[in-house]
Amino acid sequence: MKVALAGNPNCGKTTLFNAITGKIEHVGNWPGVTVEKKEGKVKQSLNPNNENLVVVDLPGAYSMSPYTSEETVTKDFIQNERPDVIINIVDSTNLSRSLFFSTQLLELGIPIVVALNKSDLAEKSGITINVPVLSEKLKCPVIRTISTKATNNGLPELIKAVIAAGKSDKKQEAPLKLSATKALSKEESEKVDKKRYTFVNSLVTEVERKKISPERQTIQDQADRIITHKWLGIPIFAAVIYLVFSISQSWVGPLLADVFVGWIDLLYEGVASLLGEEVNPVLGALLLDGIIGGVGAVIGFLPLIMVLFFCLALLEDSGYMARVAIVMDRFFKKVGLSGRSIIPMIVGTGCSIPGVMATRTIKNARQRRTTAMLTPFMPCGAKLPVIALFAGVFFGEKAWVGTSMYFLAILVIIISALIIRQITGDYSKSYFIMELPKYRVPSIKRATISMFSRAKAFIIKAGTIILVCNAVIQILQSFDWQFQVVAENAPETSILASLATPLAILFIPLGFGLWQFAAAAVTGFIAKENVVGTLAVTFAVSNFIDTEEFALVGGSAEVNAIFGISAAAGLAYLVFNLFTPPCFAAIGAMNSEMESRKWLFGALGFQLGMGYVLAFFVYQIGTLITVGTLGEGFGAGLVAVAAIIGIVVYLMRKGRRNKQASGQIQTV
Amino acid sequence: MALSKGKLNTPYVVNGVNTEHEGIREFLFALGCYPGEKVTIISKLASNYIINIKDARYSIDEDLANAIMV
Repeated sequence: MKVALAGNPNCGKTTLFNAITGKIEHVGNWPGVTVEKKEGKVKQSLNPNNENLVVVDLPGAYSMSPYTSEETVTKDFIQNERPDVIINIVDSTNLSRSLFFSTQLLELGIPIVVALNKSDLAEKSGITINVPVLSEKLKCPVIRTISTKATNNGLPELIKAVIAAGKSDKKQEAPLKLSATKALSKEESEKVDKKRYTFVNSLVTEVERKKISPERQTIQDQADRIITHKWLGIPIFAAVIYLVFSISQSWVGPLLADVFVGWIDLLYEGVASLLGEEVNPVLGALLLDGIIGGVGAVIGFLPLIMVLFFCLALLEDSGYMARVAIVMDRFFKKVGLSGRSIIPMIVGTGCSIPGVMATRTIKNARQRRTTAMLTPFMPCGAKLPVIALFAGVFFGEKAWVGTSMYFLAILVIIISALIIRQITGDYSKSYFIMELPKYRVPSIKRATISMFSRAKAFIIKAGTIILVCNAVIQILQSFDWQFQVVAENAPETSILASLATPLAILFIPLGFGLWQFAAAAVTGFIAKENVVGTLAVTFAVSNFIDTEEFALVGGSAEVNAIFGISAAAGLAYLVFNLFTPPCFAAIGAMNSEMESRKWLFGALGFQLGMGYVLAFFVYQIGTLITVGTLGEGFGAGLVAVAAIIGIVVYLMRKGRRNKQASGQIQTV
Repeated sequence: MALSKGKLNTPYVVNGVNTEHEGIREFLFALGCYPGEKVTIISKLASNYIINIKDARYSIDEDLANAIMV
């Protein structure tokens, strides 16, 4: 039996899906988190007779006439795949709007079970709903649910009703005899929709009793006035991000990392003593330095990342993220994007892939492609170890490094969007409308679940892709082209060094023209965590975090000396890794969302150029400030940077001419 | 008049949506913002309006606030 979950955005479909299937799909307290359908089986505890129940979670939709492409996913699934039963999730705190979609679903002939979700919140805000009358009028079962609660949540009753509905042969009767599926002219469909709302409105007056008028100003509205304030909005956002970084990178994270890295050290020493002296030194080094050392260096950052994801999950759950979209809308609008674009970017702070996929909610093609191109600039989870490493090595664990990288990312995104708008010559505007979720106290339990699922993914990645990469790097640096073991004092003769050196020459003007850094930047395209792993392997530093006080092994100064580059070059390298193209998996996601080769290659070229230019300026200006002279290779670098900027300016002028040729600006 | 000229906390009755834009009118309809229904401005922010339609709050930009006629 195939059961589809359908309902308005942010009514809690995915939360209910997770509750009945035991899965841990990403949820957030804002509309548009789910952009693809997801499948799962109903948990045994809710399905005692072991019925074959497959549940499909669909993206939220306000109606069967889709406005955004994720709404289309929902409509197409329901119309083409004909599920056996639809659970229509209705937000009890917004009955009248939700029931509009319900009336459309009820006309399809598919059995419907209505889940009156968030019924605890409705009760709290003084809303009472007469369930028996509602059920009778809609001609379908209506069950009260609270999917955030573990017990007494109405879910067993819901599943029972679903099974009963699926087994009966009766076709769903529509409460309103209108045809939603027939192709109607615009005027006709408007008339039909009006009838629908008239029906819903009279139904709601009959079954719903409200104590408080929804138009009344609430404390939440007062809070919004401050949080999304013209001048205060940005500083508040900065403070929130700074707090998150302080907690994860300066307070709680390091405490946990201490313990954790201690274990990795013990493992390293244990394996070393087990291997003893007799073992082949190349094999020993492969196991110890390549695998345990390299993977350990990445895994060492796990506690920091877990704490960070915990904090971000709390923020997502609170409803704050939707407010960030409002704060940013003003700036994004000026560069041809909208506040809608901030949502993929916020999702992208976890991982760029779902972030890029979330661009589907953007209707305008240029805005969607630009957002898909710029979302990977947000520091994702995999880039955090890189940030944490460089913040530690060169800047003594300061939370401002991470925070400033987020804001640098936003700044770079805004500038890039401006450039792209000029290049495309597309000045179309679009309206911005977004539902504001209610604030709520974030759930510790949900944040914990989200944190552990991220941690699991991180560990799996470290144990597979990163482990293999580190082993390969270790082998490539242990042998030369004659497959002889590289002499200890001549690491530059290794296969790895000779492969990476030509690339390293390009990086001289950026301050990190060493083959180790070049190799790490390349492995970073496979997975960004590899940057840390490869640096650990090639510089033979087994862990970057000291057990004592979360300073680097032997103090920052020493690792700094091992790396052999200045702080300015370190920052340049960090910037280079953050603003070059993302990992291959994310590039794949960009490809599928952009639906255009031209855009994809343009995006990759733009990202490479952006990374190079930014790193060049960071290194050269940083060196000028700290040392008083320009850095190495300034002349050659300047030529390269001037060439990149020249190409961009040429394209921008061309775009502007096209725009003038095509005439006036349209609102799309 | 356009909703953008409206006063705070005053329920207005929607007259129409004045736009060439495909789809936005239908979208607003699905939310319950169509001729005859009520809309209230909860607050005006930098360049955004927070409005109440039915039982929900939405953030809209100035362009859309100019397009909704009340």
